[in-house]
Amino acid sequence: MLRPWQPRPGEWNDQAATHLLRRAGFGPKKGQVRQMLELGLSGAVETVLTTDTHAEELYRGIEPLLAQGEVSTLQAWWMALILAGGAPLRERTALCWHNHFATSFDKVDDVRLMHRQNELFRREGLGDFRRLLHAVARDTAMLLWLDGGDNLKSHPNENFAREVMELFGLGIGNYTEGDVLEAARGFTGWGTRGRSSVFREKHHDAGMKEVLGMKGTLDAADVIDAVLDHPACARHVAHRLLKEFVAPRPRQEWVDALAEELISNRWDIGATLATLFASTLFFSDEVRRARIASPVELMAFSVRALGVPFAPKRAAQLCAEMGQALFRPPNVKGWDGHEAWVNVGTWIARHNAMVEVAEAKRSTIDSDAPRHATAEAMREELLANVHTPQLDDAVGRALAEAADTPTSIAVAAALVLTSPEFHLV
Amino acid sequence: MVTDRRDFLVNGIQVACSLSLLGLMKESALRKGKVGGKLPLERTLVVVQLSGGNDGLNMLVPHRQDAYYRARPTLALGRDRLHALGRGFGLHPQMGALARLFEAGKVAAIHGVGYPIPNRSHFRSMEIWHTADPVNRVRDHGWLGKLLDRSCEDPARASMGAIHVGGREIPLALRGETSDPTAITDARGLQLRELQGFASLRNGMTGSRTGEARESAYLRAVAEQSYRVSTRFSRAFERSEKADTPGYGLAQRLRLVAGLIEAGFGLRVLHLELTGFDTHAQQGRLHGALLEELSESLSAFQLDLEARGIDDRVSTLVFSEFGRRAAENGSRGTDHGAAGPVLLVGSRVRPGLHGTPPDLEALQDGDVPFTTDFRSIYTAVEKDWMGVQTSMDLRPMELFV
Repeated sequence: MLRPWQPRPGEWNDQAATHLLRRAGFGPKKGQVRQMLELGLSGAVETVLTTDTHAEELYRGIEPLLAQGEVSTLQAWWMALILAGGAPLRERTALCWHNHFATSFDKVDDVRLMHRQNELFRREGLGDFRRLLHAVARDTAMLLWLDGGDNLKSHPNENFAREVMELFGLGIGNYTEGDVLEAARGFTGWGTRGRSSVFREKHHDAGMKEVLGMKGTLDAADVIDAVLDHPACARHVAHRLLKEFVAPRPRQEWVDALAEELISNRWDIGATLATLFASTLFFSDEVRRARIASPVELMAFSVRALGVPFAPKRAAQLCAEMGQALFRPPNVKGWDGHEAWVNVGTWIARHNAMVEVAEAKRSTIDSDAPRHATAEAMREELLANVHTPQLDDAVGRALAEAADTPTSIAVAAALVLTSPEFHLV
Repeated sequence: MVTDRRDFLVNGIQVACSLSLLGLMKESALRKGKVGGKLPLERTLVVVQLSGGNDGLNMLVPHRQDAYYRARPTLALGRDRLHALGRGFGLHPQMGALARLFEAGKVAAIHGVGYPIPNRSHFRSMEIWHTADPVNRVRDHGWLGKLLDRSCEDPARASMGAIHVGGREIPLALRGETSDPTAITDARGLQLRELQGFASLRNGMTGSRTGEARESAYLRAVAEQSYRVSTRFSRAFERSEKADTPGYGLAQRLRLVAGLIEAGFGLRVLHLELTGFDTHAQQGRLHGALLEELSESLSAFQLDLEARGIDDRVSTLVFSEFGRRAAENGSRGTDHGAAGPVLLVGSRVRPGLHGTPPDLEALQDGDVPFTTDFRSIYTAVEKDWMGVQTSMDLRPMELFV
């Protein structure tokens, strides 16, 4: 299932290219799908993997603002990077790790530390997972979040030790309570001083331990290695990648295959995703439009597809309304995702956010242009850019009726953006 | 209000249908003809979840036990500062409002609530409380969802529904098969942003599609429910916008809950959360502030219900996924423990202290062992409060009058 997809004539089409751009990034900009079709499948996958440069001004723009200590500024900055699309896969993967190693500003209470962790996910997120996990274990925000800020030999703190097995590395059922207690001893000595993570030898328990079958005077790095050496670890990571990039409920055989791929790529996430994005599985009918878009995806897809000006700060606020406040996941398990995104309450939030994007579209319309021409152009643009072939005839009819004034153009856009099909990715 | 209730009863069937559209009951239940014409104003359960593992020993303090003071050299609360409840227990100094409710006979506190083989993972333990299953991993249904499902099978009780107030995620406890809960953040969260001419076109597009994929059908159903009920919700919210509620977030959410119950949507379960109880370090001030918020909010809620004249049909259950270790750790905090106290508040609860008081000289692995199975409280709620058949094979505690 991970062998390269070989599309028959006509199969590398609008839908396939849109699928790739929506899954491996944050959706197509106007005209981007056509570009991808011209490149062919392998060229398109290559482009997705190598589009990896943020505008310097935007990327560095956060630095002077960190001193303000406002998490909303940080949210807006990340949203701006996502909307601008300089490095879609890198941001997509960073968001995946933000969910996997879910850490909340609500407890860390330090914007600089949240920014630093976010940069860690950005820097290491497409690299060697082993490096990422080791780095996360020493990340200051993570230490504060899981109470490793003051972890003493006399009183080992179990919180991080537990989560590194339950959520970050293995999953429940692959370790014992004893492993957690022993691992906690291994993490003693680590703590925080100011905004730094520090190791204090005298607080470290240097005694013999046994974690997941590994014996010795294990320290924090050894414990992480024991987790990485456990066969469940690669499967756990593969499961996360499949949930994020392929389908909400990955089949066991997909998990096993991708775990094998991960190991043969020496834990390189980028290389593993490269195989995945070119695979038969990734383009199979079964997984197309099988996920319910997260709020961040939805905002990015809509704003980018319609090409509307939209303040990143507002976009981040709307994501929070829809149930995904960046840097503030509900708990260390992250967001459940898929159907859990949607209920009466969050659907109304989605509706309201999409109507707001549609209203932004109105401002881009030249009201002096001939009405009929505008309507025609808009109709094409809406249906073509949004790329939801499953959009009903009803939407088409509504567009035909609606698209003849700037206001009704906004109505038409709103119909598309609030149609259930648009929320499937 | 009176007009609303009359309309509610007179137009029973119509209301029942709109309730299903409210996201309170799935269409399948309706199609089976399981909606009755009568909607009695039934009892409601409010659940307040203290997330993170509440340190029960510093909430309901065993001030006659020296072992408590020995275990907690920096965190123990002096007995002269506590609000004495008798029998050697006192409430945290910042829980004066709850102590007054206790004196007024409106609080039941149950000692040592937990389950066999305590699990120290927040998520697994919360899952156990939500699903009432300490053995099997149940992923799809919670005990309240199942309770609502069972009630849907009884035509006379088909009006039930559940809402989580204060967040966007539906708690596992509320998920059921036929019942269909929703989640709202606050009072403004259900007002639709409209564009001129949009609503009529949108309404022209409703209706299910043949051969539609499962996800798409699901989204369409939720969307249609949302549109049909948002106005109705908005009105209920307006009525709940009164002043004189303490500024605490929980108090504000409970004010909204009172408004929703009074508005007569037929809501049977309302779920709220107070977070931040995972006090591994420097817990003193933090834990005190949380308990103060809890105490003041529960008290204001009770007064609000009394003022609205609906206190007779509302009970509030307060729980946490586990208690904390008896001994404090090296960071002036406490680590994940086992059993802890559960609170029940309301005009119809059997007041006082229930269950076996924890004995800190007889800890198990440094923890307060459980002496009351949480499911015997759930069973009491199901049977003696909500009036549905219990799903659990346990004798209910006597907790209601």
